[in-house]
Amino acid sequence: MEPIQYIGEHLLPGKIGHFAVVLGFVAGLTAALSYFFATRHRESEAFNSWRRLGRFAFLTHGAAIFSVIGMLFYVMVNQYYEYQYVWAHVSDDLPMKYIFSAFWEGQEGSFLLWMFWHVVLGILLIISAKEWESPTMAVLAIVQVFINSMLLGIYFGDVKIGSNPTLLLRDTMDAPIFANADYLSLIKGNGLNPLLQNWWMTIHPPTLFLGFASTTIPFAFAIAGLWTRQHRAWIQPAMPWALFSAAILGTGIVMGAAWAYEALSFGGYWAWDPVENMSLVPWLMLLAGIHTNLIARSTGHSIRSTYVYYILTFLLILYSTFMTRSGILGETSAHAFTEMGLEWQLVLFIGAFLGLSAVLLARRYREVPAPPKEEPTASKEFWMFIGSLVLLFSALLITASTSLPVYNSIVKFFNPEFRGRVITDVVPHYNKYQLWIGVFMGLLSGFSQYLRFRETNWGKHWRPFAIHTAAALLLSGVLTFLLLQWITAQAWQYQLLLFAGVFTVVTNLDYIATFLRGNLKAGGSVVSHLGFGLMIVGILASGLNKKYISSNPFVMDGLIEGADDDLYKRNILLFKGNTMLMSGYEVTYVSDTLDGFTRTYTVNYKRRNAQGQVIEDFNLYPNILYDKSFTKIAASNPSTKQYGFKDIFTNITTLAQVEIDLEYRRQREDSLNYRLREAAIGETIAFVDTVPVRDRDTFVLKRYELRVESINRRPASPDYQPQPGDLPIGATVSIRREDDDSTYVVQPMVALRGQLIYSYPVQINDLSAKVRLNDEIFNRAFVFDEQLDYKEYRLRQGEKVRIGELEVALTQFLPRPQHPDYQPQEGDIAIGAMLEVTRPDGQRFTARPIYLIRGSQGLGIKDVVEALGLNVGFASFDPQTESGQFFIAQAPQPQAFKVPVEVATDALRSDYIVLEAIEFPGINFVWLGMTLMMIGLTVSMAHRIGQQRRPGTEN
Amino acid sequence: MKKIYIVAGIMVVVAIGLLMSAAKDMGTFGTFAEAEQSGAKVKISGQLSKDKEMYYNPEEDPNYFSFYITDSQGDERKVVLRAGKPQDFELSEQIVVTGTMQNDVFLATDMLMKCPSKYKDDEIYVKSQG
Repeated sequence: MEPIQYIGEHLLPGKIGHFAVVLGFVAGLTAALSYFFATRHRESEAFNSWRRLGRFAFLTHGAAIFSVIGMLFYVMVNQYYEYQYVWAHVSDDLPMKYIFSAFWEGQEGSFLLWMFWHVVLGILLIISAKEWESPTMAVLAIVQVFINSMLLGIYFGDVKIGSNPTLLLRDTMDAPIFANADYLSLIKGNGLNPLLQNWWMTIHPPTLFLGFASTTIPFAFAIAGLWTRQHRAWIQPAMPWALFSAAILGTGIVMGAAWAYEALSFGGYWAWDPVENMSLVPWLMLLAGIHTNLIARSTGHSIRSTYVYYILTFLLILYSTFMTRSGILGETSAHAFTEMGLEWQLVLFIGAFLGLSAVLLARRYREVPAPPKEEPTASKEFWMFIGSLVLLFSALLITASTSLPVYNSIVKFFNPEFRGRVITDVVPHYNKYQLWIGVFMGLLSGFSQYLRFRETNWGKHWRPFAIHTAAALLLSGVLTFLLLQWITAQAWQYQLLLFAGVFTVVTNLDYIATFLRGNLKAGGSVVSHLGFGLMIVGILASGLNKKYISSNPFVMDGLIEGADDDLYKRNILLFKGNTMLMSGYEVTYVSDTLDGFTRTYTVNYKRRNAQGQVIEDFNLYPNILYDKSFTKIAASNPSTKQYGFKDIFTNITTLAQVEIDLEYRRQREDSLNYRLREAAIGETIAFVDTVPVRDRDTFVLKRYELRVESINRRPASPDYQPQPGDLPIGATVSIRREDDDSTYVVQPMVALRGQLIYSYPVQINDLSAKVRLNDEIFNRAFVFDEQLDYKEYRLRQGEKVRIGELEVALTQFLPRPQHPDYQPQEGDIAIGAMLEVTRPDGQRFTARPIYLIRGSQGLGIKDVVEALGLNVGFASFDPQTESGQFFIAQAPQPQAFKVPVEVATDALRSDYIVLEAIEFPGINFVWLGMTLMMIGLTVSMAHRIGQQRRPGTEN
Repeated sequence: MKKIYIVAGIMVVVAIGLLMSAAKDMGTFGTFAEAEQSGAKVKISGQLSKDKEMYYNPEEDPNYFSFYITDSQGDERKVVLRAGKPQDFELSEQIVVTGTMQNDVFLATDMLMKCPSKYKDDEIYVKSQG
């Protein structure tokens, strides 16, 4: 078969991109090897040339990676759907602000993001690492080679190495559409998952991946230390990198939590989901490493543990990558990447670095220096080490539980009959164990602040230690008691954890006041620990006392035997305009507006005091995002009212089906039982119709009275947007039902636009009725031009003609005419005429038709004197004679006609939202605590970098 | 012996103890029959029966949603979730529910849906206009 010449494809960027992927791989490998030999020959002459080659190769690698990223952005921004990656992640209606999110939505893009940060960090290492450059860069480069291989997209037989993001759509799938040379004009992109169309998606992944990438640096230093046998020397330069990494990775995790809480409808910030766990665990390990790193720096103890922790941190990052990207989490996680078929490659990635680290550590372990004398029990280093063990312990427990799907897969491999085990109740399972970790960490990070490194004079120091500790214990006890008046914590375990958190806060504040005297420059760790304590308090307050305030006391109970009370009553049904009382708040669904695909709701909350005065009044704006076809809700975004000590979180769970699905809405409208009722203007008619009884297949008969008040020739409806040339008509109709005292006045309308009739019915919620006008109204209310007998008249200013009984005089021409049907446009040449019409009884009327030239066309806009049925058209204007050509016709006197109104009495109202509202007390302590932890880490990093610049200073 | 080793030793013992006790938090994906027999909380992974009724009428009760799933033994039962109907529910195939059997219905306290990947490789969306 002859190859098809496709139309409109842009193949060059793909070729450049593909070349850059391969170049990046080769250059990365060259950099790794060069730096490897540079390290080997670090004491010989060859060193410099190896290092120069390494630098050159790494910069080439960096340039290649940047090119791939640039090329991918280029094709995404230009919406070249011939590329599979563009087709999968971009669509015509994707706003450009989400182009970054779309870039790293896919696995390939997120690998590129990870590599981007490695390149940036690598350049920083080249600039700053001095004698550590060669060994650390060798490690970093080989890591890059592994990640780069994920993008190669090369096949060896059936084995696929990597997935190439520069592939063409027609090369990745076999579809009949590709037989069409012009297939590009037919396809459209899939676009970004609406759940991810959120600004958090723009900032969370880059931060998290910088966190991931930065864990490679302490790891690289650890490997470098083992490799070059400089077991003490690496400790100092690794420290700021580790602190940096912990601050960034921590921030990335916090952002994920904030995203889950604020923008996704998860109803919380942490759910112990495997994806969350696997980002937390490396961070815990890194913190353990930072603690032992500090011990090693200050006392020379714990160098071995520091090696182990930094290596484990990086291996856990790889393990986390494997877990989230291999699809192994399957049924246990709500949000993992989709599979890419690279499982074995990810396993190899972990295996290679696990093997390398294990062999190196085993061979060097004995020679790592360790002081023969043990740490004194009363020293800071002893308890810090215990603290690092607690962190390790926490990380291992979480990893063990989260890895359940991995064990299942392994066992299933040998025994296909195996059914696999799962944790039945995930959140309590983790909380149960991590609670104790929290208690230990809280107590440890409290009293250990009062201890000193290398305590040699405990006899003198035990007294202040005992005084401060005892005072802190006492004060914390009192504070915990007071807090328990606010936080309801029944179980003693929670009370103990609260105490531990408060104790941390108290001791660290005391430490800042009495020991640091407010000097926070060297107090990064104090700030972090203070933050940890506050976070514990916040977690307990918001977690234990999280309350669904959207409980509906009127909901029917007893549908299910034995259901817990807190199980239901989470959602409340709120009709538009109606106010519901909800846990002390008067809640009203006020209005909603549709903008593009997003419908935003205004929900008003009011609270009154005992006297009935409004003491609080605010609006929340939750929204929902429709999918492209308006047939389902793609995402719902909550809205939160923030107080100092609590949040009120509001989310729309669902809407009426007719509001969700446009298709269903049409069907529903068609299925309504509309009946035609005809009444003249001012006439009242009575009729009887059936009303359905909700949820039973029965109907009752009701008597109605309907009266047509007037006809509206310039009607309005909230949904109707007038366009030039429209012929709209409406009616004011009042309707009453026998069992309802009110009379409801509605204004349904119809509009003729071209050949189409648009109907705007009105719903009367209290009567479950819907009123619309029948199309027949056009024939009755209008006399169309074709039916009129127009006569031509040529008139100058002041001239009069007689038409039937009427006298028509042209009063004047108007230079800047106005008419409801005329919307002036740039470049219009318009002239109006004012005609005075006199009836035999002497009553006068005016007609103001317009003649205008728009572009090269002349057109007239006629005016109608409704009372007389007089149609006046203005067909042309002759500037020489200053006369106008008019076509005037008088319609037969409009007869009184019956207005055809249709009423459906089975239109149940659908303007409601199902609302979920949760109160989170103390949530701000969680955010404040987390933020302080990250600030503390950053302060420490700055402090350590400062120390390195001034060698010889010790803390 | 070093104190650190003693502490580490204690931790190992505690860890083993915790993991042993954690075993009771784990279960296999159960079946409706098992849930019926034991009366205990069970996690069931099943296929959504798309031909059976999915009932959700928020006007009646916004916290009552029922549907049918078929467990690994081919047993099809009604499941009641005391919450709103999740978006995209119809699209899911695999449903994981945690809960207990109450009379003839499975009362779910928690539910996880597995939707097929949003992008099916064999589907190309064609522009609706031009």
